[in-house]
Amino acid sequence: MIKKALYSVLPVLFLFLFVFAASKIDDERTSFRLQTTQDSFVAGKPIALTFSTPSLSANPQLFLIHTYGKTVLNTENNNGKLVYKIPAIYRSKTGVVSWYLIQNQEKIMSGNFKIVPNDATPTILENYLGPPSLLTGTEHFTMMVAIPTDSYDNPKQDNTTVVIKDQFLEDITTTERKTDYFIAWKNIYSRTKSGKMLISTACNATDSKEFETEIQPSPGEDFKISFSRPHKFADGNQITTLETSTILDKYGNIVGDGTLVTFQVTTQNNILLKTYAATINGIAIGQLLHPDHKDTYTVKGYVTGIAESKPVRIDYNPLIDHFTYKFTEKNRQITVGPLRSFMKQIVPDGIKVELKILYKKELIETKIIETQKGIATFYLLPPFYKKSEYQFEITTLGVTQKTEIKKYETN
Amino acid sequence: MKLINNRNIFKAAFILSFIVISVFTMLGLARILDYLNTGADRTSMLHLETESEDVYLPHVNWTSLENPAREMEKNTLGKLERDYLFSWYVKNTALKTNNSEGIDDYYTANTRLNLYRTIKYNREHQITIENTTIKHSPDLEFYSEDGQLVVFTDKNVIEYQKVYQNKELITTVQDTATYKVMMLLEDGFWRVRHFLKMQPEVFVADTTKTNQIYTVKGNQIFQNKVPYTIKGINYYPKNSAWDTFGELFNKDTIAADFEIIKKAKLNTIRIFIQYGDFGKAKIIPEKMKKLKTFLDLAEAKDLAVVVTLFDFYSDYSLDNWTLTHRHAEQIVSTFKDHKAILAWDMKNEPNLDFENRGKENVLSWLDHMETVIKENDPNHLVTIGWSNSVEATNLAYKMDFISYHFYNDIIHLEYETNQLLKSTKKPVVIQEFGVPSYGGMWNFWEGSIEKQATYHQKMQAYFKKNNYSFMSWTLYDFPHVPDQVAGKWPWQKNRQTKFGFIDDKGVNKPAFKYISN
Repeated sequence: MIKKALYSVLPVLFLFLFVFAASKIDDERTSFRLQTTQDSFVAGKPIALTFSTPSLSANPQLFLIHTYGKTVLNTENNNGKLVYKIPAIYRSKTGVVSWYLIQNQEKIMSGNFKIVPNDATPTILENYLGPPSLLTGTEHFTMMVAIPTDSYDNPKQDNTTVVIKDQFLEDITTTERKTDYFIAWKNIYSRTKSGKMLISTACNATDSKEFETEIQPSPGEDFKISFSRPHKFADGNQITTLETSTILDKYGNIVGDGTLVTFQVTTQNNILLKTYAATINGIAIGQLLHPDHKDTYTVKGYVTGIAESKPVRIDYNPLIDHFTYKFTEKNRQITVGPLRSFMKQIVPDGIKVELKILYKKELIETKIIETQKGIATFYLLPPFYKKSEYQFEITTLGVTQKTEIKKYETN
Repeated sequence: MKLINNRNIFKAAFILSFIVISVFTMLGLARILDYLNTGADRTSMLHLETESEDVYLPHVNWTSLENPAREMEKNTLGKLERDYLFSWYVKNTALKTNNSEGIDDYYTANTRLNLYRTIKYNREHQITIENTTIKHSPDLEFYSEDGQLVVFTDKNVIEYQKVYQNKELITTVQDTATYKVMMLLEDGFWRVRHFLKMQPEVFVADTTKTNQIYTVKGNQIFQNKVPYTIKGINYYPKNSAWDTFGELFNKDTIAADFEIIKKAKLNTIRIFIQYGDFGKAKIIPEKMKKLKTFLDLAEAKDLAVVVTLFDFYSDYSLDNWTLTHRHAEQIVSTFKDHKAILAWDMKNEPNLDFENRGKENVLSWLDHMETVIKENDPNHLVTIGWSNSVEATNLAYKMDFISYHFYNDIIHLEYETNQLLKSTKKPVVIQEFGVPSYGGMWNFWEGSIEKQATYHQKMQAYFKKNNYSFMSWTLYDFPHVPDQVAGKWPWQKNRQTKFGFIDDKGVNKPAFKYISN
């Protein structure tokens, strides 16, 4: 019976003893020594930190702070030797790795090592070019930024040489730049001629693809305008064409297609008219309807806020100097025309004829009708025009004629 | 013929059910159509306005914006700083939860893979790490001409982390490192493209000049180099207990109270600023105005003020650190030259949170908070109002003077105080003490106004004899005490209402005679 009790008590006792012993060993401040002397490693290569300790049971943990993460490593105590293998994910990225040896929540040792880019792997070049288009001139530039990395996407160490090349027409420039803060960069200045510039970079054996930047013409300089027309008569029908000279920037480049030119027209009576046109090959062609009366147009071209032309003067001659009209149907119908043009031909349809109806020199109403086959017909309905006499003023193609006073029957 | 027969009922029921079914079908269809019409607003593609709460506010100080390329615009810098801090925030969160949420937004396609690997590894090994950074001092190195790429060096980033494996705390580590960062502007976000940890730079010695009125040497506090013994009182206006800067804030009430305090031969008061009440990380200007009015009144009356910060704050988690830092920073830097302030009391009785929030957490929070306060206000003293003399030795080496609250039996006063004076070699202030005059059924008719007077008489005798600095609890009896303070039960609450030297009708109790010495 006693024996049996002993059997059951002894294991428990031993367990207690063991636990005490273990805790005793753990409690003592074991000393550790870092055996790994190397403090700089190449990315992608295996890294292990080896510690030695007199304790055969101490099993601290290694806390790592890496550029891209933090983690805890465990290992076995192998006869007082502890080897912490750095996981692959932390080996391939560069930077300083801080480590802390932790036992029983206490920091026993700390230190750091460095991982440098692996220059044995093929270089990879990342490039950023901007802005993607430039204006001609000497003060504009585009910036090429190159970031050479190793195959693990680690930026190369400072002072890595990057060659930055640019081509424009016959001209090829090659510059060497050293990296600093991950990057090598160059401002590539614009030229006085517009066109396409190609830029590329190279580092070690790696060449970038070609990058394009467009050198656009600068804003245009002042220009001239001219006009042409089928005839010089104010027939309200034909079109006068306004044309700019080729608009050039200050370096002689034709301005970009689509540059909007505003033609501003001032008539004899200081009324402003506008017509617009966009350039093609530097020339903008605007169109302007002939007036229907004698007039003088002053036309000036603008590229708003940028350039302008000198004004040109366009004179329009009158189509007629007088016209005929007749009263019929007890003076109720007034027929104007036929209107004849400069070669005695009938004027085109749609010429405006204005009839002012006066009663005792006072304007009662204005009627407007367009001609058909050179003739415009007005009819004064008796219910509306009840007075016994009216006078009329007829205007067409810039010519005004006043009729005599006409008598009307009244009921 | 019967009007109501079965047939009519059936007809009615049939028509009614038809109507009901139609109505529900229409409603259902409407809901489906409605659902199909909802969705992300198209403008959200552009990330024009990413509304954000203040979740992460470490101290950021751009040391230099000079760079060889494009001049940095203020607006871009703000956006860049915000996105950079978010990149830290999402990284910290990822390490804490082992979840990659948000990483896509602040790391470019190549870079985020590294973080995914870390998360995967830590998840497999059940490692979680709580992090916060305390300080960033970025120095702009390069800002590209097209405004799409920046490189900067973030110098001496202080990182504080708590490391867990299998949900057990392994250790807490503070690490300082310099980071070189490249960020790209991609669809409206500045995203980290390259990130490189480097050795920290050499710290530049702080050269700020201090302008101190109150100083400390050995066991003594000095005011303008003259030894100064605090004879003080904890103060809340009578009708706004635990809410000094609330709706009832009134200049005249406070001025009148100060008059009473001054006449009672007291020289110092202790007040409380509540973390939430003052607006957490975004201080409410109106509250600051009230605080200034209050301090100006004290200065006019020649009273020194011990300002207790972070009242009613009890979350010490790392997530919140930077927010509390900004809270303290704004308050102490505003009043760093105020002549009325004697000291900043960082927290009232933080040791009461040891059990629920972890002693380690609370102490490291206080430790860092002390640094923040001293950095922003080197002129005023710093202390912590411990609830007993045993815990008062915590962080004593960082304190200008030691404060503890004495609610024990009077006979222990000298022993406890002298022990602290000896062990810390710093001035010691008995920052709270007192007994309630409450004698009701809840404490078996134990207290009375006479007993309270006797207590204070004895205490003052000890103070006088030993030249102790003291601050009694409290000037007034309070008609209302909030639940957070003492508890919601009457036996807890009633006691708390009767600690004053003046009762709630404004009549001096017998103890008032012994308010000072």
